[in-house]
Amino acid sequence: MRTSKYIILGCLLAVGATSCKKWLDVNTDPSSPNNGSAAIQNRLPWIEHFYQYTSGVANYRAAAQSGVYYSTNGSNGNQLSTTWNVNTGNTTPYQTWFVEVASNLNDLYNTAQKQNAYHYMAAADVFHALGFMEMLDLYGEMPYTQALTQNPSPGYDDGKTIYNGCMAKLNEAISLFSKAQDATVPSLVAGDLWNGGSVDKWTKLCWGLKARYMLKLSKKADLYNADSILYCLSKGPQSIADNIVGPGLNNSTVTDYLIGDPVVTNGNFDYVAYGSTQRITQYYIDKLTNMRGSGVIDPRMTKIVPASMANVKLDASGRISSYTWLRAIGVDVHGTATRLVKGGSASINSVTFATKNTNIAYKIANATDRANFINDQTTYGRTFSVSNDTVTVTYPVGSNYINSANYLYAGDTVYVNVRSSALATSGIAAQGPTDVSWYQSTAAFNAGVVASTGSFQIRPVSDQEILTYHEMCFIKAEVYMRKNDMANALIAYKAGIQAHMDMMQAKLTSWQAAGYTATNPDMAPMKTADISAYMASAAVAQGNVTMSDIMLQKYLAMGCSIENWNDMRRFNYSVGNVGSFGVVYPGFQRSPLFAGTALYTGSGTSDPRYWPRRWSLPNTLELNYNISNALALNPHATDANIWSMPIWWDCATDAEYNGYLSK
Amino acid sequence: MIMFAMFCMITNNLIAQTVPITGTVLSDDGTPLAGVTVLIGGTNKAVVTDNAGKFSISASANALLQFSYVGFATQKIKASPGMVVHLVKDESHQMEDVVVTAMGVKKERKALGYSVTEINAGELMKNKNTNLVNSLNGKVPGVNITQFSGSAGAGASITIRGGNSTSDSRQNQPLFVIDGIIYDNSTTVSGNTGTDGLSRSNTTYSNRIMDVNPEDIENLSVLKGAAAAALYGSRAADGVIIITTKKGSEGNVKVNVSSKISTSWANKLPDAQKEFGNGSYSSNGVFNNNTYASNPLSGTTLLMYNSWGQKITSDSIYDNIGSFFQHGTIYDNNVSVSGGSKNGSFYLSGSNFNQTGIVPSTGFKKTTFRFNGEQKYGNLTVNANAAYSNANTDRTLTTAGLYAGGGGGAMGGVYSFPQVFNMKNYINADGSQHRIYAGTVALENDIDNPYWIVNMDNLTSQTRRFTGGINATYKLTNWWDVIGRVGYDQYNTNDYTYIAPGSAVSPLYQNGRLSKNLVDYTYVTTTVMSNFHKSFGDFDTHLMLGTTSEKTDVTNQNHWGYNFITANSINFNNIATANQFFKDGLTRKRLVGAYGEVGLSYKDIAYITATGRNDWTSTLPVNNSSYFYPSISGSFVFTSLLPKNSILSFGKVRGSWAQVGKDANPYATLTYLNSPITIGAFNGVGNQYTSGNPILLPEIQKSWEVGAELRFLNGRIGLDYTYYHSETSNQIAQPRLSNASGYIFKSINSGSVLNTGMEISVTGKPIVKKDFGWDVTLNWSYNKGRLGTFLPGVSYFYPTDAQFGTVKAASIPNGGYFLGMTGTTFFRELDANKVEMPNGRYQVDPNSGLYRVNTGVPTVPIVGNREPDFIGGLSNNLRYKRFLLSFLLDFRKGGAIYNGTEYAMITNGLDKKTLLNDRQSVTVSGVNYLTGADFSQTYTAGQTYTINGTNVAGTYMIQQYWLNYAANSMNFIQSVNWVKLRSLSLTYDFGGIIKSKKIVKDLTATAVGTNLFTWTNYKGMDPEVSAAGGTGGSGSTGIDYLGVPAVASFTFGVNVTF
Repeated sequence: MRTSKYIILGCLLAVGATSCKKWLDVNTDPSSPNNGSAAIQNRLPWIEHFYQYTSGVANYRAAAQSGVYYSTNGSNGNQLSTTWNVNTGNTTPYQTWFVEVASNLNDLYNTAQKQNAYHYMAAADVFHALGFMEMLDLYGEMPYTQALTQNPSPGYDDGKTIYNGCMAKLNEAISLFSKAQDATVPSLVAGDLWNGGSVDKWTKLCWGLKARYMLKLSKKADLYNADSILYCLSKGPQSIADNIVGPGLNNSTVTDYLIGDPVVTNGNFDYVAYGSTQRITQYYIDKLTNMRGSGVIDPRMTKIVPASMANVKLDASGRISSYTWLRAIGVDVHGTATRLVKGGSASINSVTFATKNTNIAYKIANATDRANFINDQTTYGRTFSVSNDTVTVTYPVGSNYINSANYLYAGDTVYVNVRSSALATSGIAAQGPTDVSWYQSTAAFNAGVVASTGSFQIRPVSDQEILTYHEMCFIKAEVYMRKNDMANALIAYKAGIQAHMDMMQAKLTSWQAAGYTATNPDMAPMKTADISAYMASAAVAQGNVTMSDIMLQKYLAMGCSIENWNDMRRFNYSVGNVGSFGVVYPGFQRSPLFAGTALYTGSGTSDPRYWPRRWSLPNTLELNYNISNALALNPHATDANIWSMPIWWDCATDAEYNGYLSK
Repeated sequence: MIMFAMFCMITNNLIAQTVPITGTVLSDDGTPLAGVTVLIGGTNKAVVTDNAGKFSISASANALLQFSYVGFATQKIKASPGMVVHLVKDESHQMEDVVVTAMGVKKERKALGYSVTEINAGELMKNKNTNLVNSLNGKVPGVNITQFSGSAGAGASITIRGGNSTSDSRQNQPLFVIDGIIYDNSTTVSGNTGTDGLSRSNTTYSNRIMDVNPEDIENLSVLKGAAAAALYGSRAADGVIIITTKKGSEGNVKVNVSSKISTSWANKLPDAQKEFGNGSYSSNGVFNNNTYASNPLSGTTLLMYNSWGQKITSDSIYDNIGSFFQHGTIYDNNVSVSGGSKNGSFYLSGSNFNQTGIVPSTGFKKTTFRFNGEQKYGNLTVNANAAYSNANTDRTLTTAGLYAGGGGGAMGGVYSFPQVFNMKNYINADGSQHRIYAGTVALENDIDNPYWIVNMDNLTSQTRRFTGGINATYKLTNWWDVIGRVGYDQYNTNDYTYIAPGSAVSPLYQNGRLSKNLVDYTYVTTTVMSNFHKSFGDFDTHLMLGTTSEKTDVTNQNHWGYNFITANSINFNNIATANQFFKDGLTRKRLVGAYGEVGLSYKDIAYITATGRNDWTSTLPVNNSSYFYPSISGSFVFTSLLPKNSILSFGKVRGSWAQVGKDANPYATLTYLNSPITIGAFNGVGNQYTSGNPILLPEIQKSWEVGAELRFLNGRIGLDYTYYHSETSNQIAQPRLSNASGYIFKSINSGSVLNTGMEISVTGKPIVKKDFGWDVTLNWSYNKGRLGTFLPGVSYFYPTDAQFGTVKAASIPNGGYFLGMTGTTFFRELDANKVEMPNGRYQVDPNSGLYRVNTGVPTVPIVGNREPDFIGGLSNNLRYKRFLLSFLLDFRKGGAIYNGTEYAMITNGLDKKTLLNDRQSVTVSGVNYLTGADFSQTYTAGQTYTINGTNVAGTYMIQQYWLNYAANSMNFIQSVNWVKLRSLSLTYDFGGIIKSKKIVKDLTATAVGTNLFTWTNYKGMDPEVSAAGGTGGSGSTGIDYLGVPAVASFTFGVNVTF
């Protein structure tokens, strides 16, 4: 009896133990898929999209640093564009890359490997190279071999290791793309947002990237290899049809989970043209209006430089009846910077829309200033009255004006910002998907008064240029010039300009077809005759091309791109001490509002440390949590003047680089 | 079924053959003895005497009643109605009081090897707070309470002996156990920036122990150390609070009615300057009071709402802050019915609590019901209890504006509104929001008027909760019993957030937004345990074996949408389907535990107890899901070996060592995907920013404590001392780590938290007379929390929820403060080695003409330790005839507080400090950080200065000076001391006046004042602060930021027993 009791008890326990194990097995969240279950054809579009964020924010900030954009954005943009006095690391490129993009690469690669999906494995390799190389360009050193592992405190790698790692990934990608995938495996077309599954374009992207990356070595006598670059170029994009771009759409209000930016739009737009704080510099606009001192207006000018409506008259129903286009004036940052010196580095004001006739009283103590101010009002035909030292100006209903009693800012309307609107950002319900102009308010929209027409590369619906044929041409031109093959350099230079014109024209034509030009004439195609006239004009070198000619046309074409900053570093900005190429970026110098004394400690322009050479690593995302590893590799990682420390490819030799890294 | 069982019990009670026995217990000198345990012989049914020494119990006619009390000889007396019992002091039986320990087991206090503090109903009710946790303030050494805010329905956090877990998502609060069933006390932040625009700092949240009616509590036992709590397993590492609710006693049915009315008011408000109006000066000195531009420091405030403007000449100054807050009221009514027979008893209660807050249109309402019943069938005793509560909170937006909304919420708005505008003017005749800068600022960039928020928006939270348990004890023999228990705890919280059309929010939501959030929590537990008890000569042994299982399911559903089509119809059907959204989630957790305890004692001299428990949890990887932890404790009553003396009447030393495991939060082992995104024809998915960890191990706390209990002068003075040390290693955390791992947060096992501390409790009875008595208790304790070793290279450990102004709550690895705080400071002058001199002059940046701010490059400055040096309470009970006067002082010494409210009011120009020199001049003096030369510069209004090549006006620099001042966290950090008169109560007992006790048996009236006085060096509002109500990790205690001010109150109540 007793024994049987124990047997029964024993059985119950055994049953209990088994069911207990099952009962405890509830630690997989039933309401969310996990990383083991994501399909590769869903993982890839995510990676492609979020890389556009990383690339967009890197492009924006690098373009501010290389003088394309002037910014009033106090937290980083203005400091990169104007004062150069940045006191925190740049977090967004780092975070979007590692958290939004790179965390998916191992999962994509490993899942693809299990299925023998070679093309997805290859795509993972390409993104590895794209992202890490961009991080190398920006930060110089970071965790690489131990990054994206379970290690919560990954160790650091130097620039050379990261560079070689990225090149190896591209080689692997080329070989993987050359393999045929089984028909049962998800085809690349099912998950490729960028290239429609074209293995040919992906392969060309790999070769093109190799050329771009090998060009970075131009300071290194031992590693720079012109013929290798030309070989890569021969296998890279051969026409604008081979351009690799990420799409920008305007059909959704969904915003992203981490930063809160619109999801479907072009990444450059999300950072440059989302708000009102960015404007084009005088330095950049000069390349569109006076290239080579020619005074020739580039047909691309009105496509890149925004305009706003001025001299607006409203009809009885409050709709616009007449207006003129006010083309933006570039902000003088690098020259005398008169306006900024007067008002402060971030003082350029954004416009307000006048819903009624609006008076602003300006108290102007300085008699000369007052006289000039009154003169200006007369010139622009405004109604005003003067009483002692106060000038009261009436801004008529329908106009965009600066809502400040400070007379210094009153003329800031000419600095039209590059803002565009998307469905997710405009806040104007009636503004449809094919109207991407910026209206200052709903009232302005209802009246039809445009505050900015935007800029070619940075509208929500712009293509995000990942790798283009025109860049290939300019690389070719530079390489030939370095080989002293002037004839081929000239051919490639001209082909580059033409390729950029063609690419723009194709996009502008497609915008016209999609109906964007109904509200925005700057999105319409250029006149073909203007293009050919420009190509034959003095703005384009017709013989005797110089390195500066090549690089400035490249600078103009690349615009919102990190590559301009990379090129400027390779040529030591406007110093003119690289080879016998002379001054490559004439006129690019520190602003009179420069305040980065502690960051840029070089004593003169020819001292490498006079110029921006890298960004400091982000404090809050990296240094606060990984400081010992950071300092172990680079004891100067937290020094204020890390900003002027050249990165590996910016040094002529490893010895020079290691010298910087030593204590 | 449950209802039927209840009914049966009530019926049984009524027909049982018992008589009511009432009586009074006095000491041999005639003083009434409160808290004497009256036990019916041969049963485990007991009651406790009240403050007048009275008791009432139902017992069979010839029952023997056993009277036991600390320091008095236990007596057994035959029950008789109206009996008066005199207890005689007996040193040899001094410590025979019984306390409730882990798993509800009652033990003699002298047998315990660890510290336990008990609080009875009378003590709790002296300053009754609807949030039970708040009533414990100052009463238990080693326990730290932080009230989240003074708003109605606001929660509070409680930690015992410091926090043990660093991570945001990990609770450091003790486990609450009510009548043997674990009772959830989480503070659920249901808000989500994406769905209803709320985060923790937007409003106040309740902690769920608030669902308990404090009047139902008979006794509360605080188990502080791991040894005391080890049997409770994974969730006991932070201590346990065991609550026993009231039971009926044998005799007549007793009806108790109590009614309270209370008024409350803001304790202290910040003082705003009344000299300067709104607007600000731009860099060239032009005055602007209509420019839309961001404040360069805060980035969110609109400069025209700042008070950097011109001297106010008119008389139109509005006391916007003072007139915003109103008097709050509370109506609190309770009814209970209890009774019992020889074989059964019941207790039934209902309560209604109705509070209006000091912020207009806010309030907290709570209705509770409870049934407790007990029935005996031979050797089987069955207890059942069921409680229902319904709590409703009308909340306000507090310190931060809604996500995608302008302004700073209601409270942020109140503390920034320029005094030249009448804030009460919030609505136009057409029903739209009255906006001062309506033509200038787009609605989405404007700030909401606080009155608009409280009157037009609607934020409510409703929690309905049912808890129930059935407990059966079967006594097999007189040395062996078996107990079975099933417990159920279920609640659902419905949060409702409505943003009215016309609010200053993102354009998408300007035509209204509605969000409903449901959290449904279900917890089921079963326990079977068996006790064995045997004596062998002078040795006494006991053994307990038990097993328990716990099942927790939490579902979360959120619905939200925006843009109401038909005006004034606030519902989802009035929203286009494209603008309706929903989300849901399910969190599941399971745990099985097996435990045992073995004890051995020798005479009444030496005791030793060992426990062991093994848990199997669902939240750890299968290979690590089982873990065992032991504890051992002992006590030695050394006075038993000494000759009897009246000086040291009793002495005991005790010690314990324990290890407790703590499992992970659910789902920490895997990495999950974000919601898919759709771009063109493609659907993309990617990993979330939190990485799971498939190799997690349990967190282990090892702790020890030693202590002593001493009684002097026949028990007139008592001393209880404890020193403890705990180390919680293998911390399961989800910290922010290097993003290079691919994630922002990563589940890891790393590091340890060290807590050491001391607790002293002194009790005294200075006066023991027939008509006059004075009892006093002093509690004093300190805790030192440190974060031990951690991942190499990790310099700070931030709980994300607690970042306000310029400071962030932080734990500092490698021996730094657990309750640390990082911030921004001014750089100081460097010495010859280029190291900052501790008290050197400030560095000045010639590029700005102001002090140079260290914003965390290269290292983030640690600006304070929020942990107090010590805390305590002094509790006094003075009895004169039928008057009972009690007061509780609680005190604290040290511990940094960040006055973020002053920070905010300096940045917006409302703070009185900014009146320095009538805003005519400020002086910056220190060293030029570039040249090292002395720097001194006075900026005077009306002058112009050239700084970094730009001409700037003096008026502008004066403004910049204060923004610069605000950037130095140290300007707002203070080591704070306080003494608070936490409560003062006077009770009169009409018992003697009532002649006929047939109907009214007892009547008392009480007047209570709470928080009437605070003596403190703190310059802000109330030093007892916690900006975000953070309870996880190091929380947000010690950060004062634009909260609803703490309140003081006065309450009058009567209590009638029929």
